[in-house]
Amino acid sequence: MSLLIRTDVTAVKLYEEFIIAGIGSSLHIYEKNTAKSFGTHNYILEGQKIYGIVPTKDKSKILIFGGKQFKVIHRSNLELRLFDFSPGSVLCNDWLHSGIWTSDNKIALLTAHNVVQVWDVSNNPILISCTINKDNSILYSGLITPLIDDILVFSGTVFSEVIISRCECEEPLHRLIGHKGVIFSISCSIERGIIVTTSDDRSVRIWGLNGPAIDRNTKAFWDSVTISCIHELYGHLARVMRSCITNRYVISVGEDSGICFWDSDGTLLKKIGAHQNAPIWSVDVDEHNLVTGGADCGVTMHPLTVASDYSDSDTLRIGEGTPKKLVFTARRNLAVLNETGHLIYYVIAEKTEIVHKIKHESTYVMLSISPCKQIIAVADTNGSLEVFVENCKGPASVQNVISTKLQINKILSMQWADNRHIVLCSESGDICVIASKGSEVEIVSKFLLPHCKERWLTSAAMNLDNNLLVVGDRCGNIHCFIKEGTNPIKTFAKVHGRYGPTSIRIKNNGIISTGRDGTIKYFSVYYNNGVYRIKHTSSKDLGFQWVEKCIDSQDNLICGFQERVFVIADLRNNSKLLEVHCGGGHRSWDVVRYIENINNGYEQIIKLVYLKNSDINMQTFCISKITSKDIIKGTHSKEINCLKSHHPQLEESATFFISGGEDTTLRVSIAKESKHFQDEVILKHLSSIRTLKVFLLEIDKLLVVSGGGRAQICINIMHFVKDCDDVKVVVEDVIDFLVKGTDKERKGAKTWRNCTVDFDPETRIMDLEVVEGKDNCFLIYAGCSDAYLRIFQFKYHDDKVTFKPLGQLKYHKTCILKTHCVKFLDKIILMTCTTRGEVCFWDLTEPNSITDNDATAFLSTTTNKSGINCIASKIISDSEILLATGGDDNAVHVKIVHIPNEDFQSAEIVHTWTSDRFHGSQITGVLLKDNIMVTASIDQRVTVFKISKNGREVEFLYQTISDVADIQGVDFIKKSGDTITVCVFGKGIEVLALSLEEANFNCHNLGIL
Amino acid sequence: MGKTSKDKRDIYYRLAKEEGWRARSAFKLLQINEEYDIFNGVLRAVDLCAAPGSWSQVLTKKLKENTTNADDVKIVAVDLQAMAALPGVKQIQGDITKLSTAHEIIKEFEGFKADLVVCDGAPDVTGLHDIDEYVQSQLLLAALNITTHVLKNGGVFVAKIFRGKDATLLYSQLKQFFELVTVSKPRSSRNSSIEAFVVCQNYNPPSGFVPTMINPLLDHQYCDFNQLTGPNRFIVPFNVCGDLSAYDSDTSYPLLLDGQTTYEYKEPIQKPIDPPYKNILEKTKNMQLNK
Repeated sequence: MSLLIRTDVTAVKLYEEFIIAGIGSSLHIYEKNTAKSFGTHNYILEGQKIYGIVPTKDKSKILIFGGKQFKVIHRSNLELRLFDFSPGSVLCNDWLHSGIWTSDNKIALLTAHNVVQVWDVSNNPILISCTINKDNSILYSGLITPLIDDILVFSGTVFSEVIISRCECEEPLHRLIGHKGVIFSISCSIERGIIVTTSDDRSVRIWGLNGPAIDRNTKAFWDSVTISCIHELYGHLARVMRSCITNRYVISVGEDSGICFWDSDGTLLKKIGAHQNAPIWSVDVDEHNLVTGGADCGVTMHPLTVASDYSDSDTLRIGEGTPKKLVFTARRNLAVLNETGHLIYYVIAEKTEIVHKIKHESTYVMLSISPCKQIIAVADTNGSLEVFVENCKGPASVQNVISTKLQINKILSMQWADNRHIVLCSESGDICVIASKGSEVEIVSKFLLPHCKERWLTSAAMNLDNNLLVVGDRCGNIHCFIKEGTNPIKTFAKVHGRYGPTSIRIKNNGIISTGRDGTIKYFSVYYNNGVYRIKHTSSKDLGFQWVEKCIDSQDNLICGFQERVFVIADLRNNSKLLEVHCGGGHRSWDVVRYIENINNGYEQIIKLVYLKNSDINMQTFCISKITSKDIIKGTHSKEINCLKSHHPQLEESATFFISGGEDTTLRVSIAKESKHFQDEVILKHLSSIRTLKVFLLEIDKLLVVSGGGRAQICINIMHFVKDCDDVKVVVEDVIDFLVKGTDKERKGAKTWRNCTVDFDPETRIMDLEVVEGKDNCFLIYAGCSDAYLRIFQFKYHDDKVTFKPLGQLKYHKTCILKTHCVKFLDKIILMTCTTRGEVCFWDLTEPNSITDNDATAFLSTTTNKSGINCIASKIISDSEILLATGGDDNAVHVKIVHIPNEDFQSAEIVHTWTSDRFHGSQITGVLLKDNIMVTASIDQRVTVFKISKNGREVEFLYQTISDVADIQGVDFIKKSGDTITVCVFGKGIEVLALSLEEANFNCHNLGIL
Repeated sequence: MGKTSKDKRDIYYRLAKEEGWRARSAFKLLQINEEYDIFNGVLRAVDLCAAPGSWSQVLTKKLKENTTNADDVKIVAVDLQAMAALPGVKQIQGDITKLSTAHEIIKEFEGFKADLVVCDGAPDVTGLHDIDEYVQSQLLLAALNITTHVLKNGGVFVAKIFRGKDATLLYSQLKQFFELVTVSKPRSSRNSSIEAFVVCQNYNPPSGFVPTMINPLLDHQYCDFNQLTGPNRFIVPFNVCGDLSAYDSDTSYPLLLDGQTTYEYKEPIQKPIDPPYKNILEKTKNMQLNK
């Protein structure tokens, strides 16, 4: 029984107040407005993905099709369920591309060999007619549309053309020629008189109908119409998968995750990205919404608007002279510094301005606003300082509260460290922290900024007890000072590349910094007995280069710039909330986010102001009207290669999945009940992640070691902590190691072209094992694609982390696919498996013993004919280990290794069982738990076997089919009573409860076609 | 080729360039032959879906060894797309689902039937595994259909398959036409890929079978002896082919292979002719893309 499924979303439908999504063979129903689940129906089709959801006009019935199957489900009279249906589906002899209702009881289906089948579905479906169209080589797409007096057929062929025909007419009516590649989709709006095709050639084509002034729903019209391509549109960067037509727009979705909105003139009105760069497979529209389903397993609803519909754009004229710097104040008015150094306070609502004239001795004037946005400081390099405070009530104004001349020369930077302290940095790195004292200021503390090329600050923050000051300098370093000393107690060199950190915030024992290296970084702060321990814990890549700051109190909304575009990203779901073409970050700008009550509803508003060509531009966005909403949150955008589950002790009902995949991300996702599944943490590797192993350090603290392409190994420590009612994952990234060195280490100062070092970018870590040694020391054994077994030592103790290679061993001739460790009595045995089907056994009791080059395995055996994709083992007695492997040859092998009296040298294989009858393709997952063996294969079958206590007998119990394509493995979740719960992963993830009770086999067998 | 295809530049990609093959798939056919000796005595061969032509290259090289008179060897390469010319190979740019193509092949063989039909065709992969597998199986069945017109009794048919969820349907279909059907994976094909090859030996159509092109062959359906799940599934023997000492496509090798002292970069032998993405490449180059 399937408990949870996430895979390609191949069908979506907006149906009344609901969104229906076809995910694998199941239908998922969500309420449109609340995004709440309204139920899931599993096994709608049998072992087949759903590709089409077609309701009747009155919405009382829905035709569901996919692959060669279809089924009709009925609207339910029950309150809590939407549909009634019975098991089973109708099997056609060919793949179905399109289906429609021609009347209340009849459906027409178009097959991949260009055959139109008409079925009567009033009771048991009966095939009424079959029209074989002339051109019957395989179609990649098709569309059928009912006419009043016939059925119109659009066939998208591999020959890059669309053939239009009618069922009653033998000869095709029209051929649409122009595309240069396979046709992936065809849409037609008879009302608007357009046909839209999308293709492998990355183009969207809009075809216009030019026909007689008669009803377009008649065969007479289609027989005499002329059709020509009116627009050939390029907006996608990869293949264009689907399209749909609304009253105003043509919308196309592509393999590049892009959604393009086109108008009837072929203008690209808007392009948005969704689904994490994964292909978008499905799309549907109603009057106000667009819904898309993607290869990242997500379903997203987008407002059917283009950005200009729900945003205000204004150019403000403020004061005389050119504005130089501007900020938003707490009352969301503007403080503008103009070229003469005067401060202008501009009240946006009233369009009034108050000018505060300031006399400067220098032309370099700085403007800075406190974090609460109420206090504005203006200073020049010679030390003139003016401080203004905005009033909270009454007519908006600012009052000059401090006007002084500081005895500091050559001030180069000024930042607010909190709402009371200003940090000034002057020539030769003198840092002064000042605070107000009456109408004057006093120097609270002084520090010295270590030497660097451009010696001033770009950001600063102070903690609550005023003891710790954290600053970022122009050269990218972060320094931490305590009140008592002049020099930093801790320096993080170049944490944000070579540019200064853009913002620093101190919050709840942590520091958050952002920079122009595209990341947000997290540090932890421990204070104990007057000693601060500050350490870098993790870093998050945001996907745009210039990350400026957080704009909400929860630190979830981050703004910055991607080249010339201003971006706001939402960290919670890794999506872009807003993109504004403003020209880039090298200008004065500010942004505020606030909640406003509009028509009794709370709306999130974003206001952006920026200077461009000396104009002050202001744009206001009502977020809910322009941003997309996740109905089902997406996860990995490509195959998952490795996965481990974890049950935190804090919360028994939750299961966490730690997974790595082809999309280069390492994710931690939480699954609660059967519907809730969402990514909590996303980390990145340089290349695909092939393997990950976990080790429980202490309760709810996991060591996660992952490896993959570019010979990279990453180690993260994941803490599962209680956060209100939820369990939160806190990640500490400890090691990021490239076996072959970083690019810089490998090529030195030379360019790649002049580089003679051995550049071998192809080595992949195929699998690894973690073995605990003594004193917080771990040994990591990595099987690599260049046939080497590499051994590393990892030490972890408080702050001190070391990671070093201990040696490497080339014993095998070909790629090592799997490594597997087993603790046998008090000894540790490592097994290595290769693409040649060998399994070698190593004694790891003395870890250094195998780093010698002449080390040999104590036992070697060949199980599979070629690559071994999975291995599992079980100790069956003091002298026997049972071993199961699955390989490329469809075969599962069970072997028993006999080790008499702990003497490894006399170990031998004493029993072998093998079968290739159960899977039709590579076996990629094998699992041993008690007396049960589970195998999973790329053929999407999961097989359950029972193994006798002595391991000598293997009995087939039953087999089930999973909706996850390209299965890469199976992981154990739990076993309770007679049910074993496992998770299969590959192109998606499915949790299956496999019941071992005899009676259940028959139930399962009923499902067979 | 779409965004979803993985990079396939392994050791064989490099060897193909160095040994003058148009694609690394040449090694796959060579390794299949090592195991099954499919070229033995073959003079007339058909290469379906031949472009870019690496299998035709293998055929011309290998079939020559079967005779003293090179003129006895007849190789016909069929593809929808244009393919750069190869000496000794007759090219037909045509559709394998058309009867006329079958007649053209027979004409080339002067009325005789072929000893061997090979097909390494693969569709445009969409990234949706079930569609890709279905389209691939239909391509194979189309190849089988034309093969029934041109292959002599006892002949051999080799074709690429995707071993996905419904591969058993294809096996049972092929078994109707050939006495011996095996699935074979050359060492030059990656362990991780779902690609494999069916080697169908001893062509022996069901009695009373009349080759026709009017209806396309459709794949089988699950039935009593080939169930969707369970122990009764139609699974054919699997074999690995290629010498154990051969290079392994999953292994990463150093730039300097054993016995080499220098490495020289080689251009691909045959670049794509007129790919679907040609227009957009030109447009992005000239920055005309509608942004």
